[in-house]
Amino acid sequence: MNPEPKIGVYICRCGCDKEGNISATVDVEKLKEAAAAMPGVKAAEVYEFVCSNPGQQMIRDGIKQHKLNRIVVAACSPRMHLETFRRNVKQEGLNPYLLEIANIREQCSWIHEDRKLATIKAIDLVGRAVERARNLKPLEEKTVKVNRDALVIGGGIAGINASIELADKGFQVYLVEKGPSVGGHMAQLGKTFPTLDCSSCIITPKMVYVAQHPLIKILSLSEVTKVEGMPGNYKITITKRPRSVDASKCTACGECSRKCPVTVKSEFEVGMGQRKAIYQPFRQAVPSAYYIDREHCLYFTKGICKVCQKFCKASAVDFTQQEETIELNVGAIVVSTGYELLDPHYVKQYSYGLHPDIVTHLQFERLLVQGLHRPSTGEQPKKIAFILCVGSRMTQNGVGNGNGNGNGEEGDACEYCCNIGCMNAIKEAYVFQKEVPDADPWVFYTDIRAHGKGYEEFYARLRNHGVRFVRGRTAEVMPHNGSLRVRAADTLLGLPIEEDFDMVVLSAGLTPSQGTDNLARMVGIHTGSDGFFLERHHKLRPVDTQREGVYACGCALGPKDIRETITESMAAASHVASFLGKGEVAVSSEVAIIDDKKCDNCEKCITICPARAIVKTSETHVEINPMSCIGCGICVPVCPKNAIDLNHNTEAQLMGQIRGNPPKEDLSPKIVAFIEKNTAYAAADLAGQTRSQYGANVRIVSVPSVGRVGLKHMLQVFASGADGVALIEGEDSSFTGDKVREHLTRLKKELQPYGIESLRLVSTTTTIPQYPKMVETFEVFNSRLFKMGPLSPKVRSEIEKKLKEVQ
Amino acid sequence: MKANNKHAAANDRHVITAQMLDKTFLAEVMKMKGGQDVQDCIQCGVCAGSCFASWAMDFTPMQIVRMLHLGMKETVLSSSTIWVCASCYTCATRCPRGLDIPMIMSGLKNIAIKENIPAKIQIKPKFHKSFADIVQKYGRIHEPELFLKISNKTAPKTMMQDAVFGLTLLRKGKLKLKAPKVEQKAQWSSLFKNASKEGAQ
Repeated sequence: MNPEPKIGVYICRCGCDKEGNISATVDVEKLKEAAAAMPGVKAAEVYEFVCSNPGQQMIRDGIKQHKLNRIVVAACSPRMHLETFRRNVKQEGLNPYLLEIANIREQCSWIHEDRKLATIKAIDLVGRAVERARNLKPLEEKTVKVNRDALVIGGGIAGINASIELADKGFQVYLVEKGPSVGGHMAQLGKTFPTLDCSSCIITPKMVYVAQHPLIKILSLSEVTKVEGMPGNYKITITKRPRSVDASKCTACGECSRKCPVTVKSEFEVGMGQRKAIYQPFRQAVPSAYYIDREHCLYFTKGICKVCQKFCKASAVDFTQQEETIELNVGAIVVSTGYELLDPHYVKQYSYGLHPDIVTHLQFERLLVQGLHRPSTGEQPKKIAFILCVGSRMTQNGVGNGNGNGNGEEGDACEYCCNIGCMNAIKEAYVFQKEVPDADPWVFYTDIRAHGKGYEEFYARLRNHGVRFVRGRTAEVMPHNGSLRVRAADTLLGLPIEEDFDMVVLSAGLTPSQGTDNLARMVGIHTGSDGFFLERHHKLRPVDTQREGVYACGCALGPKDIRETITESMAAASHVASFLGKGEVAVSSEVAIIDDKKCDNCEKCITICPARAIVKTSETHVEINPMSCIGCGICVPVCPKNAIDLNHNTEAQLMGQIRGNPPKEDLSPKIVAFIEKNTAYAAADLAGQTRSQYGANVRIVSVPSVGRVGLKHMLQVFASGADGVALIEGEDSSFTGDKVREHLTRLKKELQPYGIESLRLVSTTTTIPQYPKMVETFEVFNSRLFKMGPLSPKVRSEIEKKLKEVQ
Repeated sequence: MKANNKHAAANDRHVITAQMLDKTFLAEVMKMKGGQDVQDCIQCGVCAGSCFASWAMDFTPMQIVRMLHLGMKETVLSSSTIWVCASCYTCATRCPRGLDIPMIMSGLKNIAIKENIPAKIQIKPKFHKSFADIVQKYGRIHEPELFLKISNKTAPKTMMQDAVFGLTLLRKGKLKLKAPKVEQKAQWSSLFKNASKEGAQ
């Protein structure tokens, strides 16, 4: 099928004559001679700057003149000019994937001074590139059609705003909300810091907008139960609980609720108020319809009553509604499931639950909205202690505490900062002062973190406004003679402080929403050590998750304030739009492919894949999704049937590159370094740029991940004259340091029966600026191998024999 | 200011400078028996607020930890705090960072004795030593003997009070004049031997 490879080698001097960056150290004429003699090479040329226009023209002429179908450029790093050369050969009608670059500048001329050694190394590097080029195959850039609809999970301010942003861009949005109304925590707040806007006044218009937007469909009382398919074409199963009220008929007049005989604590009021069994969480709820809580409704528990149905003028009450299953097809998912308040029962010394006047900051918000009163007596409180960092910034709750009782459990504390506690308490202290003429608010803080726009100024204003700030985390709160005694230390003076208060407000920490873990597993994304969803990159891709086509925003990613949540929801919407906008998505061709005929469904690849790209579609069929595949190639050596191969780093290409065309007189001992093609390769480039010196006997072979290298490759390396192998992985790779070490140990064990000592293998991980560590690894390894001497010829010839048998 | 005068490490300008700080002290404290990563402390003050003996201390436990961070060895070891600590464990129970502060105090006591730093509360080292000796001897505390052993360090008035209190206890049968006995004394003394091998003073 493939025509006989005709390879052209173009060698760059990178400068004039003997002064060039490359030609100063490498004898390019000798290199040209050696290259021309390699099998399959039809043309070899040397030029000053191959990347320049005349240089590019030379390559194009070569393709025309010699009918070349493979090009090897021996020049600088592919990180520099790969795209330039690819574009160039494409102009001449050659598939861009048929071009290979031998890096003889960063990996050779810049790191060596000895002309002879550098030339030998350059010949070896070009020889490897030629062998790889011989096996290169053309690849097509593919696109996949995507569904332009989007799913937003969670109807808090993050989900609402992401939906609005997306719908305004013209995408159909499905907004899934677990509860009877959208709005989330923001609807519960009274005022917002630092501008003191009324929270419900700014969220209600947005809720109404969501409800009336023709492109947004709100699915309330719904939860996602299954996610299938692939990026761009997800199939979602949603379970919708019955509302027991026909939302299209309900006029939200509230007559049913007034007549309902059952009273329970309201979730919306966080226990600070009551609701009926048929209710609306709050007046501005969206969808604007009542809802029957079947757990408490007398009809559903005891089969009596039906008063609401009797009094409903719109005859909207429908006891026969059943649970529904809805199936949706969407292209992208936005996860905005928000947070939950940490249960302060866990921090026992604050006596939460022992006295009604000890409340959380969310309960206090509700009290402020209702008209401030002490839950115990209903009187107006005069003196309130705001206690910060309740359950936050804790690594553990001390020794000898055993399991926290109450509802909290050991491990409930959060090591992270809740981000909003300080500003929220300051705001609440301010509102308290406004409400009560002779108010006396005290704020007990660990450190005030006022890091947003206008926050520090707000804090400064309040300090001059009669709010007492005490620097010291509260030691304990005790009910005492009808009031609450707070004991703390003023750490700035080193003196204890003890004071009685009417009320105590605990700024409880923020924890991930219930079911975050479950959802992560369902959608195929990760959570971090704090339990929140993990972003793809902390700085550069803060709203992307590990899975393509799935985005997250708001407190689902970690505690944050409303302003930041809004920013993230816009960013997530924008990313969804770029992903779905064109209706099709480009798919990398450098992905793993599976041969159905060889595959025996052992599922080993499925377990090892870090991107969850491999799925079992039926009992006898395993599929690799090209959009999810990150092309790391870890699955290739794992397959016991050799059924998987990796495009553009195929077995034939890699084996060819390992074999190479060894120069007649080579250095000994020889080290082959497999380095990961992004981070570790960039580190090697940086070593070259900084002219760090390491042995000319180190030969670099770039691989997508060191996990790509298996036993077969190892044997081939040693058979082809290497005396030691280094595996170097980038630190941010999906193949983590632990995995690299595990991989190395396994390879060492597997190589032992062949007589290869485990000291001939070494591995490390590196970041780009850590390149000196990599150079040091080479040097240390080199001196070790000098002591050990080359691999004995007997062992080598035996491996060669075995390899031939295998093939 | 009063606080400044308490710092043995501060010079006559009441300024702390890097020269008077012991750089190796923090590492020493982390390595000592009962030592922990005190750098974990976020200086929140829960220990200081919780401590029921803080009125008798010259520095709060939180300040002691802060001085450990800086390396104010002399001030820490000569402070009364390490001797006043009653090891009631309220601070450790509440510490959000999981530091075992009474254990740190015991470790500091050990270092102070080893380095012959006179304690601010003179009776305390003697008390601890006598207490440990008696427990080692009998396997259980014997109050009358403890009373006699520390009597030369006790103020006459306190001694009288203690004596009267002791007589009351004796009358109610809460105190025995006869020395107590425990079984398996050999194991008991090996426990003490191991402890002193590991640096307990």
